[in-house]
Amino acid sequence: MPARRLPALPALLLPALTLLPLITFAADVPGAKAPARAVSYDRDVRPLLAKYCDSCHGGEKPKADLNLAAMVDESAVVKNRKAWEQVIDYVEGHEMPPKGKPQPSQAEIEQLSGSVTALLAKLECGRTSDPGRVTIRRLNRAEYNNTIRDLVGVEFSPADDFPSDDVGYGFDNIGDVLTIPPILLEKYLAAAERIAERAIVAGPSALGPTKTFEAEDLGTQTAGQKYGDWARNLYTAGEIVVGYDLPRNGTYILRARAFGQQAGPEPARMAFKVDGRTLKSFEVKAVESGPALYEDRVKLRGGPRKLAVAFTNDFYDERAPDPKKKDRNLVVDYIEIQGPLPDEGAALPETHRRIIFRKPTKPSERVDCALAIIERFATRAYRRPVTSAEVGRLMKFVDLARENGDSFERGIQLMVEAVLVSPQFLFRVELGGRKRRGEPAGAQPVSEFELASRLSYFLWSSAPDDELFQLALSNKLREGDNLEKQVRRMLKDRRAKALVENFADQWLQVRNLKNVNPDKGRFPNFDEPLRAAMLKETELFFESIVREDRSVRDLLDANYTFVNERLAKHYGIPGVKGDQFHRVVLKDGTRGGILTQASILTITSNPTRTSPVKRGKWILEQVLGAPPPPPPPDVPELKEDQAVVTAGTLRQRMEQHRANPNCASCHARMDPLGFGFENFDAVGAWRDKDGNFPVDASGTLPSGQTFRGAKELKAVLKAREPEFVRCLAEKLLTYSIGRGLEYYDRCAVDRIVDATLRDKGKFSRLVLEVVQSDPFQKRRGSSE
Amino acid sequence: MSTLRISRRTVLRGLGTAMALPWLEAMAPAANVAKGRALRTGAKRMAFFYVPNGVNMVDWTPEAVGTNFVLPEILNQLEPFKSELLVVSGLAQDGAFAHGDGGGDHARSLACFLTGRHPLKTDGANIRAGVSVDQVAAQQIGHMTRLPSLELGCDRGAQSGTCDTGYSCAYSSNISWRSETTPMAKEVNPRLVFERLFANNDPNETPASRAKRDRYRKSILDFVAEDADLLKRRLGQTDRRKLDEYLTAVRDLEVRIGRASQLGVTDPSGLPKPQGVPQDFKEHIRLMFDLLAIAFQGDVTRIATFMYANEGSNKSYSFIGVPEGHHDLSHHTGNAEKKQKIKQINKFHMEQFVYFLNKLKTTREGEGTLLDHSMILYGSGISDGNSHSHNDLPVVLVGRGGGSIPTGRHVKFDKPTPLNNLFLSMLDRIGAPVDQLGDSTGRLTGL
Repeated sequence: MPARRLPALPALLLPALTLLPLITFAADVPGAKAPARAVSYDRDVRPLLAKYCDSCHGGEKPKADLNLAAMVDESAVVKNRKAWEQVIDYVEGHEMPPKGKPQPSQAEIEQLSGSVTALLAKLECGRTSDPGRVTIRRLNRAEYNNTIRDLVGVEFSPADDFPSDDVGYGFDNIGDVLTIPPILLEKYLAAAERIAERAIVAGPSALGPTKTFEAEDLGTQTAGQKYGDWARNLYTAGEIVVGYDLPRNGTYILRARAFGQQAGPEPARMAFKVDGRTLKSFEVKAVESGPALYEDRVKLRGGPRKLAVAFTNDFYDERAPDPKKKDRNLVVDYIEIQGPLPDEGAALPETHRRIIFRKPTKPSERVDCALAIIERFATRAYRRPVTSAEVGRLMKFVDLARENGDSFERGIQLMVEAVLVSPQFLFRVELGGRKRRGEPAGAQPVSEFELASRLSYFLWSSAPDDELFQLALSNKLREGDNLEKQVRRMLKDRRAKALVENFADQWLQVRNLKNVNPDKGRFPNFDEPLRAAMLKETELFFESIVREDRSVRDLLDANYTFVNERLAKHYGIPGVKGDQFHRVVLKDGTRGGILTQASILTITSNPTRTSPVKRGKWILEQVLGAPPPPPPPDVPELKEDQAVVTAGTLRQRMEQHRANPNCASCHARMDPLGFGFENFDAVGAWRDKDGNFPVDASGTLPSGQTFRGAKELKAVLKAREPEFVRCLAEKLLTYSIGRGLEYYDRCAVDRIVDATLRDKGKFSRLVLEVVQSDPFQKRRGSSE
Repeated sequence: MSTLRISRRTVLRGLGTAMALPWLEAMAPAANVAKGRALRTGAKRMAFFYVPNGVNMVDWTPEAVGTNFVLPEILNQLEPFKSELLVVSGLAQDGAFAHGDGGGDHARSLACFLTGRHPLKTDGANIRAGVSVDQVAAQQIGHMTRLPSLELGCDRGAQSGTCDTGYSCAYSSNISWRSETTPMAKEVNPRLVFERLFANNDPNETPASRAKRDRYRKSILDFVAEDADLLKRRLGQTDRRKLDEYLTAVRDLEVRIGRASQLGVTDPSGLPKPQGVPQDFKEHIRLMFDLLAIAFQGDVTRIATFMYANEGSNKSYSFIGVPEGHHDLSHHTGNAEKKQKIKQINKFHMEQFVYFLNKLKTTREGEGTLLDHSMILYGSGISDGNSHSHNDLPVVLVGRGGGSIPTGRHVKFDKPTPLNNLFLSMLDRIGAPVDQLGDSTGRLTGL
C-alpha cells in the first residue's frame, strides 16, 4: 500500500521552515498542490460513503471496527489517517465494497480517493508543531537495572524480581502504561536497601556474613539438655559442637550467648574450641536474669571446621547449704560465627569508593564530606544538578544514622536508599525549558538535561554518562553538530546493546520466544538451546545493522547471518562447530534477513503447525505498517468440507476460509504473505513437504503481484522500502518518546522517512532523524 | 527483667513449644496468634480464580436448578464439595461487550471481570478500567492483615507485541485494579511470593534491629512522599496523576510497615522456600496454591486473586495431550475435536482448583474448616470461546462464607444479570459493603 502524504518538501526548504515562528494553527498549505477547487467533505466524500459504505460500516456493530457513518466531518479524516489510507486502498483495489454489494463507478472511486487524499494533505507540515504530550515515565525494569549498573556499579539486576511492566503500543516503556502499584514500591524499597548494602561497606555488615546456631536445636548429637525452649544446659563438663564450612582463610569472630548457674568458689568457665583446640577461655559471670555475649576474634583456615563451646569447670556439692548453690552449670543460648572479616587495610570495593569519594578524618569534616558525597550522588541519580535544598534534605539521613548510633557510612547508605526510592530517580521528570510569562502554552524544547536523558534512555536504556552529562551541564548539547556526534558515539558504545534487547526484541516480538511451546511430538528438535540460539541470531543480526551502520533494507534481506552449531544444524548450514556464534555467508538467497529467521518464523506459528495468517499479519504490522482490521467478534461457523479438512493441505483449508466473502478481503492480504514462507515449518526449519503434500509457497497479492517462495516474496517486500522505512520509523519514534503516535506526528515521521531514504536507508540516519524530530526535541507546554 | 528469659529466636520466629509465661501472648506461635485473631473476629477470606478463553458451557452448566442437580463433566470433580458450592448461571459482564469498540474481547473480558466496567479502548494513552471487587474489599478490611491483598498468577505480563487489537497489554494481564487507572501487577514467582509472605522472618534480626530498620524505612518513605508532593506541584495534570499513584503506594507501604510489628510474623513451617518458577505448569500452579493457602491460614491476607494465564493465552497443554494453543482451540468453530480438547483444558484447570479447595478443607479453623470461612469464586469473563459472549458466564462459588451462603445449589438467572450483583453480596459478607460497583443493579437475589 503506497503511503499517502504530501509530496516531500524540497530539502532546501526544510531549514528555512523550521525557523518560522510556531503557529499552532495553519491556514492553507503553501507549496502543496492545491486541488482545482477546494475539496469539501460534505459534498465530495460523505454522500459516497452514505451510498456505498455506511450500511456495513456504521450502526452498533460496524464491520472491521470501522465506523464510517460516525465520521461526520473533515476533522475525522485527519485524525484517522491510517484508517482512511486503508479505505482508499481497499476501494481503489476493488476489494471494497465486497462482491455482491452495489459497486461504485470508476469516476466515483476517483472522486473518493482524490478528495480524501486532498483532505489528508491538509495537515500541513512545517508550521504546525505539536510535539505531543509524553506522560512522565518511570524507569522500566531494563532501565532500572542499567541505571543502577551505571550509577552504582552494582550489576546484579535487582529489577528482575519486579513485576512485569505492561506493554502499550508494542513496547514496555510507555509513560501512560507504566504504573506504580503498591507492590512495586515495596520492591523499590527492598532493592534500594540491597543496592546500598552491596555498594557501601558500613557497620556490622562490614564484618561479613554471620551464621547462628541455636543451641536448643542441636538435638542429640551434642552434650547437654534443652533448657526451656531456647537454650541448652551443659550440666556436666561437655561440649556443644557444630560443623561449619568456612568460606576461606581469614579472620572470624566467634560468639556465644550464655549464663552460668553459679555454684562453688568460682564462676562457670566456658571455652571456645576449633577442631578440638582451645582458643580462648572465659569466666561466665552472667546469671539467668542477664545472659551475656562472649566473643573472640580468631584467624582460621577455610574449609569444614568443628566449632565447639565447652563447659570446663563442672561443680557439684551435695552438702551445699543453699540448695541453689549446689550445682554449677553452663547454659548456652546460641553459638555464632561471623566472617571472614575484611582484612585490615584491604581496599574497599570500587562501588564504595565511587560514592564515598571523601571520608571524614576528623569530626569537623563530617558535614562537608557528607554534603559533597550527597551532591555528587544525587546529581547523577536525578540526572540533573540538584539544589542545595535537596542536598540539605538528604543530609538528614546522615544525621539520622548518627542519632541512632550508626556509622557515617550507614548514614550514606540511608541517603542512597532515599535517593533510589525518590520519584526524582524513579521517574524521568521533564519540566521543559523555563516558560516565560505570557508565552503561549505551545511547544517548548526540553531542557538539555532532559534531552540528554531522552538520548541515553533511547539508545542505552540507561542514564547519561559523563560526557553527555557534561555537555548538558555546559548547555552545549544542541550546539553545532554535538548532538550528531553524541548519537554516533553512543551507537558505537557497548551500551547500545540495549537498543537491540529492548527496541528490536519488542519490535520484532521475539521476546515472545520465551513463551512459545512448539509441540514436542511434532518438533522434537526444539529445545532450550535452540530457543536461546534463535533469539541470539536475531539480536546479533540486528546489532550488525546498528554497528556497521547498514541500510535498514538489509533487515529484510541479507546474505549473512549468525549461527552456532545448534542453529546451523537446524538451518542445514554445514561446518559450524561449538556454542559460539559465527557470522556465515548465505548463498542461496532464500534464508537471509529477519523474515526467514527461525525466531520470527516460530513466534508466528501455532504450537502444532505454521500459521500463514499469523505470519502475514506480522508482516503487515511489523514490516509494512498496515495492520489488518481486527477479526469479527464471532468467527462464523464454517461449513467445512470434511474431505478437505482431513486430507487437504493447510493451504487448501485456508483457501476455504477465504471463500467466505466476510473473511476474504482481509485474508487476501494476510494469507499470501504468510504462504510465501510455507517452506519453513513452525520452528523455522526448511521443508519441502507439509505432511504428505509438497509445499506450495506461491501467492498472489491484492495488487496482482505474484511470487513463488520466500526469495521472490522478499524481493517484492524490498521494493516497498518506503513503507517499511515508515513502519520502522514509527516504531522507533514510539519507543524513543514513550507514547503512541498521533495524527499530528505525521509530519515528523514524513521527514524522518524522507531523510532516511535519501541517505540510503542508513540506520544511523534513521536514529539521527528521530533524535532531531520535534516529538523528540520538544514537549507540549506543561499547562495541559 | 523477664524479657531476657526469652531467646532471640523465640521472639523472631515465634516458634517453639508453649511458653511457661502466659502473660506473654505475643510470644506464642505467631501463626496461631494470627489464626486466633482471624477466628476471634470471625474473619472471612475471599479469592477470585480466573481462567482465560472461556469454557465449554455444555459441559459446565448443570441442567437442573435448585438443590437437586448433577454436576456436568467439567464440574464433576467438585463433587466432594457439592454441598459447599453454588453454581451461578446467567451472570453477565456487559462491559466486556464491544459497545461500538469492535474487536478486543479478550482484553475487555479480563479488565471487566472484577470491575464491571467497560475499559477504555487504548493501546496505552490513558488506560482506564475500574476498581475491582477485591480492591474494594482490600480498601475496607485490608488494614486488618499484613498484606491488604495478594495478586497471584502464572503468566508474566506480555513482554512485547500487541495482546488484543487496540488494547494495551495491561488489560489482558491484570485482573485486579487498585484504582481505575492502576492495575495491581501480579506475582508469578513462588520464591518472591514466599519472601513477601514471610518478609518479617529474618532470623538474623533482633527486635531492636528490626525496630531500627522500620524506623529508617519510615524516614525514607516520609522523605520520598515529601519529594513527590514537591514535584507534583510543578507538573501537568496527567503527570500529577502518576505522582498520585506513587503517593498512594507510599502510603500503603507506610501503613503496612507500622502494622507489621503489631501483627507478628507468620510461620513458614511446612513449606520449604521455593527456588523459583517450576518448569512444570501444574507444579507451578500448585505451589502458588500452597502459598495462597498458607497466607489465608496464617491470616497474612484475606483477599486474593489468581490468574491461571493471561487472557487470550495461547499456551500449549501438551502435557495433558493437547499440544495446540489454548486460544486457537477456543475458536473451535463448532469442531467437535477442538471442543473436546478445550474441555480437557477446562478439566485440568478445575483439577488444580480442587487441589486448592482440599487444602482449605483440610485446614481446621475453630469449629470448622478454613473453607467454611471462605468464598472462593472461580470463573471466566468469556462464556464460550468461539462466540466471545460475555453473557451466561461460567461462575462457581465455593465455601460457605462463614455460614452466610446457602450452598449446595445451582442458581440460574434467565435474564443476563450483572456479575457485579454477586460481588455486592460477597462484599456484604466479608464486611466491606458498598451500594454500587461497576454496573451492579443491586444485591444478587436468592443468596
